[in-house]
Amino acid sequence: MAQYFADMYQAVSSALIGMSITIKHIWKKPVTLQYPDERQVMSPRFRGFVHNDTKKCDGCGICAKACPVDCIYIETEGKAKDRYMTRYAIDYNKCIWCSLCTENCHADSITMSHDYDHSVYFRDTLVYEFMDPNEAKVPCHRITRTELGWWVEPKAEKKPVEKPAPESGPSDDKGEDH
Amino acid sequence: MEILTDLIRSWFGPDKMSDQAVFITVASTMATIMFIVMALCALIFTWAERKVAGFIQSRYGPMRTGRWHGWAQAVADMLKILGKEDIIPAEANRFFFSFAPILVLLGSLLAWAAIPWSPGFVSADLDLGLFYIFAVSSLVIVGLLMAGWSSNNKWALYGAARGAAQMISYEIPLALACIPVVMYTGSLNTTDIVIAQQGGMLNWFVFRNPFLFVAFIMYFIASIAETNRGPFDMPETESELVAGYHTEYTGMRFAFFFLSEYANLFLVSLIAAMVFLGGWWAPIPGLDFAPALTFIIKGVLMVLLNMWVRWTLPRVRVDQLMHLCWKVMIPISLICVVGAGIWMMLSGQAGA
Amino acid sequence: MATEETKMNSGWADQDQVPGIKSELMELNMGPQHPATHGVLRLLLETDGEIVYKVTPVLGYLHRCAEKIAEGINYKQWVIYTDRFDYLAPMCCNHAYVTAVEKLMDVEVPERAEHLRVVAAELSRIASHLIALATFGLDMGAWTPLLYCFREREVILDLLERIAGGRMLYNYMVPGGVRYDVPDERWVSDVLEFITMLETKKIKDYNQLLSYNKIFIGRLGNVAVISKQDAFDYGCTGPVLRGSGVKFDCRKDDPYSVYHKFDFDVPVGMGEMGTVGDCWDRYMVRVREIEEACKIVRQALDSLPGGSCQAIELKKPVKVPAGAAYSRTESAKGEMGHYIISDGGQTPFRNKVRSPSFCNLQVIEKVGVGQMVSDLVAFVGSLDIVLGEIDR
Repeated sequence: MAQYFADMYQAVSSALIGMSITIKHIWKKPVTLQYPDERQVMSPRFRGFVHNDTKKCDGCGICAKACPVDCIYIETEGKAKDRYMTRYAIDYNKCIWCSLCTENCHADSITMSHDYDHSVYFRDTLVYEFMDPNEAKVPCHRITRTELGWWVEPKAEKKPVEKPAPESGPSDDKGEDH
Repeated sequence: MEILTDLIRSWFGPDKMSDQAVFITVASTMATIMFIVMALCALIFTWAERKVAGFIQSRYGPMRTGRWHGWAQAVADMLKILGKEDIIPAEANRFFFSFAPILVLLGSLLAWAAIPWSPGFVSADLDLGLFYIFAVSSLVIVGLLMAGWSSNNKWALYGAARGAAQMISYEIPLALACIPVVMYTGSLNTTDIVIAQQGGMLNWFVFRNPFLFVAFIMYFIASIAETNRGPFDMPETESELVAGYHTEYTGMRFAFFFLSEYANLFLVSLIAAMVFLGGWWAPIPGLDFAPALTFIIKGVLMVLLNMWVRWTLPRVRVDQLMHLCWKVMIPISLICVVGAGIWMMLSGQAGA
Repeated sequence: MATEETKMNSGWADQDQVPGIKSELMELNMGPQHPATHGVLRLLLETDGEIVYKVTPVLGYLHRCAEKIAEGINYKQWVIYTDRFDYLAPMCCNHAYVTAVEKLMDVEVPERAEHLRVVAAELSRIASHLIALATFGLDMGAWTPLLYCFREREVILDLLERIAGGRMLYNYMVPGGVRYDVPDERWVSDVLEFITMLETKKIKDYNQLLSYNKIFIGRLGNVAVISKQDAFDYGCTGPVLRGSGVKFDCRKDDPYSVYHKFDFDVPVGMGEMGTVGDCWDRYMVRVREIEEACKIVRQALDSLPGGSCQAIELKKPVKVPAGAAYSRTESAKGEMGHYIISDGGQTPFRNKVRSPSFCNLQVIEKVGVGQMVSDLVAFVGSLDIVLGEIDR
């Protein structure tokens, strides 16, 4: 019998304690954001949609190789100095935002942007073409690129191991731009 | 009721209409008013429920539809639900499947007739008002069982079976909790019950004596179970039975269940306000300038309390629910009846 | 497993005896679209009213051939697939995999990287346990703790986003270290601040709101008791095993990474609200593990050493020496193992994953029998399974 009343007392008191906790939240400001109007500020490292700058890209194809899900399509034509890139597309249906492609890019052209809301109605629209077919093809070879006035990213030397960010140094710039 | 009768008589001329015609006109007018009030309160309470849940859970709830705190969300939902396809499962019993939502709605609508809104304004001033309310609200059980069984869905059947067992059991403490009040009043007439509580907060039945206070708590718990909400939402139990008895319902038929749930919620809150919390009397005597408004405010406060409980507590298991009803609440309610009777005898209020 | 004996004990056989009435068990499909099966688990139940006589888990709705894919891509690329195993605690899965690869490659991981791994994995563990509490509360019908737990988890996601770049699937650890160092000094102080807030305020709130609620205890105490022997027999690990009163934790008993440096307890179920090994014990072990994880994070950040956080540059796919290695780590759900066989190439020859949820789930066939449907929901919730890990 004592247990009977003890149970009853516990049930009521624990319920009241719980209710006192929930009622406290009524006066607190909600933590959620009104999404399309207010947006969270993404941290600098946030990995959003992959973006490729074709001005910098030289179609080497390292990103496509590094991609674990094969979502980067690169098409080139010609050989050696006459090699041109005709298509650079990323299929965001497949992309998993792992950022393995950006790690190895020596031209620093492929980056993770902070975009994350590209909702579309059709899957096909999620295959992003980064090159306009009407514009010039992207020259892949370094010499052709300099001749045609495309931007050439300085390439890191093989030796320096202690320098973590070689692309920022101006001295490296000179050594590469011949 | 009398006001409306007089109005209609003076409108059409004193002798133009027979008594029956006047009665039918008045009754149908009142029914329409009740239905509109019911639908409106269901709309408002769906929105309120989501806002209360939102603020308790440190979020906003609906915010976009209709600018100010999403006030039009419920209206938009209603419009959406009207446009939805009405699906009847191939294996379902078509007649009972379509009839069940109407019966459920009818059960909650009928009970509204005996609610005294303000002095003289009650659709049906029955001598057995309180008894009538409990009797017709049992219709909901039939509709619920019908819905679950005819759906030909195992989850719906579970929900219906649980719901029927639960609601039949909880009718008893619900009614038992009101008996001390009836003893004090000496009448089952709803208007009489309210009139007996005149004269400020301390004359409300809930504060008359400790047994009545316990009876009020019993009534509150039983009313939660009766409306299938909060910790006792056995027929729905969305995490166990998918959606319980209305798993297979879509569109307007589903809306009927929804409507009836909120109508029932407001109904039991109004009964609590009427039986225990002084009906239309204001807490301080002399402030009774808006009786209907006072009554509705009391009802709404009870609804909010109900929502607060719902969004706080976990759900009980079905056998614990029965344990709670038969082994805890019914004995305590009985003790309350006896205790209140003894209190009445000792304080000389017997037969008041 | 509805043996004749269980039928007899539960009164099922008696009903068969009623003359003129033929009764049979009802087959019930719980899932794969059921709200309480935490993903796409399908449970095939045979029930008599509310009582369950047979439970058969049907798996494979989320099978993605991750182990086969591992044979086609290199070691670094496969880290992203481990993220998708236990998507509630991806850091723990990353940790399990890279440990195995490092054993194969015989790489010494820098101390700083190990510390960062521990911090990330423990934060992930807290997030995973918060989800476990949240969804368990939801299964029991308490909505509000769900939102509170998600609110706190959101902070962890923000913190991990700042260090790893992703909010859910981090791809943070690589064989030989971690991909990124601490973003700035504020990150460390923010983590410590959050940990303190969680320890002092939030866990108390959860306990008062949910753990010690009488209804909640009533639902969980003495329900679905996994005995010690059953837990051993079915290979349960993690909170499920510890809930049964077995003090076993890979971090303590077979220390990997730098866990041996930290001082923490291994909470076990004590049967406070019933029998040892009931649902409440498993639940409470998780709550207490959050506190222990907070301790570990604090210690790891306080003693964060300097230096680099990557031992080897993995710009190009490396060839891993031939051999085999097995790593066992304590993920949020239990003991996570990776067995990798290398034939000396850039890709593994075979990669086998021992996922804790898979083993933990199997016990349902034995313990689930004789429960009510509502209790089964509680049981599945208390096992805290993640289907991404079960089906792989």
